[in-house]
Amino acid sequence: MNKKLVGAATLGVAAALVLTSCGSGGESGTGSGDKGSGGGTVTLKMVAADYGGGPTAEDSGAKFWKGVTDEFTAANPNIKVDVQVINWNDIDKQVATMVQNGQFPDILQTGDYSGFVKEGLLHKVDEILSPQTQADLLPKFAEFGKVDGAAYGIPFVSSARGLFYNKDLFSKAGIAEPPKTWDELKAAAEKLKKADVAQPFGLPLGNEEAQGESFLWFMGAGGGYKDASGNWAINSPQNIEAFKYLKGLHDAGLTTPNPGTKNRKDVWEDFGAGKVGMAFGGPMSIPQFEKAGLTNFGVAPIPGKSAVLETTLGVQDWIMAFNKNGRAAEIKKFFDFFYSGTAAQKISDTYKLLPVTTSGIQKLSSDEKLKPFLDALPNATFYPFTDPKWTEVNTEVKQSIGGAITGDAAEVLGKIQKIATGS
Amino acid sequence: MHQKSQSRMSRALTPLIWIGPAVILIAVVVIWPVVVMIQSSFQKISRFGVVQGGNGFDNYTKLFDEPDFGGVMFRSLIWVVAVVVLTVVLSLALAQLFNQKFPLKRVARWALIAPWAASVLMTAIIFKWMLDPEAGLVNMILVDLGLLDALGGAEADPLGKASTAMPWLVFVAVFVSLPFTTYALLAGLATIPSDVYEAAKMDGARKLRVYWSITLPLLRPALTVAALINVMNVFNNFPIIWAMTHGQPGYSTATSTIFMFILKGTDIGESAAMSVVNFGMVIVLTAVFLKVSRWNTEVAR
Repeated sequence: MNKKLVGAATLGVAAALVLTSCGSGGESGTGSGDKGSGGGTVTLKMVAADYGGGPTAEDSGAKFWKGVTDEFTAANPNIKVDVQVINWNDIDKQVATMVQNGQFPDILQTGDYSGFVKEGLLHKVDEILSPQTQADLLPKFAEFGKVDGAAYGIPFVSSARGLFYNKDLFSKAGIAEPPKTWDELKAAAEKLKKADVAQPFGLPLGNEEAQGESFLWFMGAGGGYKDASGNWAINSPQNIEAFKYLKGLHDAGLTTPNPGTKNRKDVWEDFGAGKVGMAFGGPMSIPQFEKAGLTNFGVAPIPGKSAVLETTLGVQDWIMAFNKNGRAAEIKKFFDFFYSGTAAQKISDTYKLLPVTTSGIQKLSSDEKLKPFLDALPNATFYPFTDPKWTEVNTEVKQSIGGAITGDAAEVLGKIQKIATGS
Repeated sequence: MHQKSQSRMSRALTPLIWIGPAVILIAVVVIWPVVVMIQSSFQKISRFGVVQGGNGFDNYTKLFDEPDFGGVMFRSLIWVVAVVVLTVVLSLALAQLFNQKFPLKRVARWALIAPWAASVLMTAIIFKWMLDPEAGLVNMILVDLGLLDALGGAEADPLGKASTAMPWLVFVAVFVSLPFTTYALLAGLATIPSDVYEAAKMDGARKLRVYWSITLPLLRPALTVAALINVMNVFNNFPIIWAMTHGQPGYSTATSTIFMFILKGTDIGESAAMSVVNFGMVIVLTAVFLKVSRWNTEVAR
């Protein structure tokens, strides 16, 4: 009768069933682990997210990890790594079920680690990563792996944002250089508009990535989600100024129409089709644009109010180890193999994801299109995702921040601030 | 004596064997989830789905304090009324049409099933594509007809504003609801005996009069069932709005099911509270509908 509701309720039922089966599941899990080590070889169970295009794709995560683990087992014959690759939509739910069942993987690679720390489920980084590898990690990234001063999450790969511009459209409109400031950006957009470009600036503030797009504009005005002392400051004067500037762009017809309903995916498709003059994008958008047939584009740092940003929005994914199965030594070997060998670079090459180590950045520095990202990476700024309120803020930003373009910026941002600071 | 009472008891229990499986099924699939849903709405539940204890009425207080809650509920009501009324009116006309004899009737009837056979999500996505500001078919046709100046602008983006998006959402919802409703009414029409029409003809009743005094009253059982199923279906409809607008801009095209799903991402307890409110709404709507359509009164025969 009421499908949605039954769905929500079945979730509850499933959770209840899972909880009751907790004890038996946990024991059988340990049992199989003992058997593994008894036979001389240890099998590490790893769960990883799929960066590729699904199980059948050429770049599937399963294929990537098979290459890595085969190489690792060749070097360490008595350690096997069994990798289960799960797509991004399902991984959190499936891992939650595993954890509730007591069937802990040894290694987990996904988008967040913080939820497991509170429950005391994770190894500290010191226990599973050699000092050399730890020193190679970008300090700003590693810092975010800490909860109350102790590190649990290891940065795995990252991504950053830059300004993409269509060089053909720029020369058609007579623009020599990518804009560095907001004024230059607006002037460039006006020239593009005169040259009949339908979307001079691609502005996706719809539910897919509004939190990232907004953050880049906040930073351009010197704002952000939080202020210098770590308090939520979503309706700060700087942030309001950023959205007033965007409102100006929008009202002059220089942006994507109705930005509050447009997704990044759509804007990137339009950019690839040559209909957008400039848009924010990341390394992962490079192959998409090229696949759509656009090759003559450039990448520049993000323009700010009065100068280009020194920083960029950094997004990083994590790898972590569960402490329930007692295989820290084996895990340590695998992690050191991953970070010091070719695997970390292979993942950057395959998926256009950025490295999280100093040595990784050096290896990629000759790539012209990646350079703006790599330059900004060590100084990247992150979402305040360690704050428990972030999930709520994130959801609300995605849903409603587009209203700050059509409505009153102070009011819309004030509403989100209220959610962030509410109980 | 003893044997007799035993046999009477076993006779009384026999039906249980037959209805037992159905009762168990209903208990597990319908009643138990409702119980869990109501229970969840009074609990504090973590992001990972772990229950962290009771939460009293806090989930409800938080839900009712949401600035968008009132608008969402009001919109859900308008959405149900608009879609169901349009669907029923159009279906009555279509059923009448398809009840006539005309060439290629079989083909036309098959064509009517198409929107029903296709997945609702797919239909919604296709309509979203057709309304795409840059490459949408509908927009291209409008440009060719000279009704639209250019592609890519705000005018070519009907899904970008609530005022133009809502009519399109209603349109798609009506489009996918028509086949079922029309077929239900067609079945109803088939049950009306032809002699009543003959009698009316003998009395010299005009066509409109025949429709109003004979067809509609005799169609009422079918009409009531069709409309009632539509009310519940449309109220709980999720894929059309989710695929086409995601409830955006802001929450301005969100109905209560969309709102519930968005809440689930932040606060499972509050989302469960929304589910309970939703559940209550469906029951109230159904009750009001049955009252209005006088479910219990006998249809004149």
